[in-house]
Amino acid sequence: MASRVLAQCVRTLARSSARLSGGNLAVRAVAAPVSASHRSFSVISNAERRRVLEQSRVSVVSVWCRQYGDLPPLTLETIRDRVMYVLKLYDKVNPEKLQTTSHFMKDLGLDSLDQVEIIMAMEDEFGE
Amino acid sequence: MSGSRLPAVTLTLKQFLQRQRVLGLYRSLLRTIREVPDPADQSYLRSWARDEFQRNKTATNPDAIRMMVMQASDHLGELQTSLALARS
Repeated sequence: MASRVLAQCVRTLARSSARLSGGNLAVRAVAAPVSASHRSFSVISNAERRRVLEQSRVSVVSVWCRQYGDLPPLTLETIRDRVMYVLKLYDKVNPEKLQTTSHFMKDLGLDSLDQVEIIMAMEDEFGE
Repeated sequence: MSGSRLPAVTLTLKQFLQRQRVLGLYRSLLRTIREVPDPADQSYLRSWARDEFQRNKTATNPDAIRMMVMQASDHLGELQTSLALARS
């Protein structure tokens, strides 16, 4: 249901921006496949929507468009890298011994107070 | 209890709750310390809090633990009021 609403927004936005910019072929070309495939809410349509928004932002400043947050996508690899990065920065952790399967208490020798600090560091990293 | 098959490190409910209270206090203390404006003060307070908690980590007497928890919450309250005063 959410995908249908979002596709609607993109369609109306693309249509309005095409009308106002008058001949932005790229926008119209993007709008056509997006409206055709409004059922599949994949990452590709996400990127297309963002591209449409960016182009509309560039061509017409006065169009009111929703600014979706453009943080890097949360894939398993990026999450893993960020978690390992935060753990490596912690001073009580030996970076050589650190692995994704290492146990805080048994392998790394941390206690629950360190766990509190680590969780707060994770909240800082992944939160706003 | 001879029939009990729980591991030796299992805490009673009171111990478990006390432990969670201590960890919650540590967390709120760290959060409050983060709002201190001066970074040098911040690092000093953080190392102070860490040392205090680590030093008394091995205490087992529940009354002593309760007294220490009360002291820590007093410290936390003082820190919060002085931060509020400094901000106003």
